[in-house]
Amino acid sequence: MSKVEMTKDCKKVFWRWYFLGGCGWNYEKMQGLGYYFSMLPMIKKQQNEEDKQTLAKTEVQFFNTNNTMAPIIMGVDCALQDEKGAEAADTIAALKTGMMGPLAGIGDTLFHVIPSTIIGSIASYMALEGSPMALILWICFGFLRLFCMKNFFALGYREGAKIVSEIGNRLKKITKAANILGITVIGALIPSVVNAKFAYEFTRGEVSISVQELADRIMPALAPTLVVFFAYWLLGRKNMNSTRVTLLLVVIGILAYNFRILA
Amino acid sequence: MEIQWWQILLLTIYAGWAFYDGNNTTFGMVKPTMAGFFAGLVLGDIQTGLVVGGTLNLLVLGIGNFGGASIPDYMTGALLGTAFAIQSGQGAEFGVTLAIPIGLLMIQLDILARFSNTFFQHRAEKFIGEGKYDKAATMNLLGIIPQSLSRMLPVFLALVFGSAFVELVVNNLPMWLMNGLKTAGGILPSLGIAILLHYLPVSANIMYLIAGFVLAAYLKVPVLGAALVGLAMAIHSFQSEKDEVQQAAAAVNAGGDMGDE
Repeated sequence: MSKVEMTKDCKKVFWRWYFLGGCGWNYEKMQGLGYYFSMLPMIKKQQNEEDKQTLAKTEVQFFNTNNTMAPIIMGVDCALQDEKGAEAADTIAALKTGMMGPLAGIGDTLFHVIPSTIIGSIASYMALEGSPMALILWICFGFLRLFCMKNFFALGYREGAKIVSEIGNRLKKITKAANILGITVIGALIPSVVNAKFAYEFTRGEVSISVQELADRIMPALAPTLVVFFAYWLLGRKNMNSTRVTLLLVVIGILAYNFRILA
Repeated sequence: MEIQWWQILLLTIYAGWAFYDGNNTTFGMVKPTMAGFFAGLVLGDIQTGLVVGGTLNLLVLGIGNFGGASIPDYMTGALLGTAFAIQSGQGAEFGVTLAIPIGLLMIQLDILARFSNTFFQHRAEKFIGEGKYDKAATMNLLGIIPQSLSRMLPVFLALVFGSAFVELVVNNLPMWLMNGLKTAGGILPSLGIAILLHYLPVSANIMYLIAGFVLAAYLKVPVLGAALVGLAMAIHSFQSEKDEVQQAAAAVNAGGDMGDE
């Protein structure tokens, strides 16, 4: 693949997005304002006022995608503007709306859910053990993400719109592998961080048996596993969201302690 | 202990910066573990900060504000929870207990901040209509004000005026409630796990869930060790899939390069 030289204005677009693209987020046009802000150097390059108007109005429209994936779209956008100027406005508008949906789905999974799960799990677990060392992983992720974003931008600029389906397929494969890692970590997390023990003890005459001892003979971490299943079930019920389940779990925890079900 | 003014200042600045980082540069400052660590560092008790932050982080592991959904803000919760735990000397569980309602209340302020920014969007569109392109771009920058204030203001006010409130809570909290809250704190991480189990394709990958569980529960492998085993299995899956693609390509003999790098 030949390397296409990017103009200085294009590079500016990238850094404007990276550092300040999320500032103007609002309910009406979501990332629209940030997108316009980032594309400003390209818009101002236009010679006549009418072209500037057309492009500015196109770029400030509703836009919402994963902010790590957005540079692909911006790269394609910049390439189109460099090639055709304001004539490309209709193409750009269609492109933005067409690409933002699929890229949001992949990006949110790959750059948010999976790293939050894996790094978050390790960092939280180590923090509970008293070590802040795993927090460095977040910093590393920040640089890895920047590296990916720069490459996405260059790819979009170089390859144009056709890159989206290709990169989508490749990222899907990575997502599949990353899911395996994430799910393994969750499995390990259940016995490691959920803290629940049965408190009840049977007493008959001189013999007393604690439920926890019985449970340990069935399976280690039986109580945490049951609690996770319970929370999973609660969350799947109608009219339930994470806020309600949080409050419910607090109430259940208080009750379970006072009725000697859990310690 | 008394919280000094410079400590309040640092925690307030952190709250604004963390929120900016979460929306833009993403170096993990908005993660509750990081916030708890920072608050612990500033207030001289890193251990408490790590436990408060770590516990809260487990509640929101895979949640994100996708498409602008507001989620409990346990970054702010971790800052304040850590500060109050250290200040009152009641321990990390107490801090977590205070942080949860704080995090849930912050949802409302988050909505308010995002709503305020609609004003700047309208101004920007007006400026564009008048041909003032730079002014329109400035509106994006102004959006940072409601966003950061929505975090900095509550942290500042809670640290300045919160100590009396916390003292009141500490002096009036009965033992049965205090101990019950500890149990609740222990089971709360199950929520973060449950959310992820709903979100990730677990049924197709149930074997990996079991493998991770067995490693940690039976073999007592730490989470990082289990993650490395998970990584090995992930690489294996990735490579075997790649081979299939290559074989398919060879069979078709399309002649083009597949672009696998």
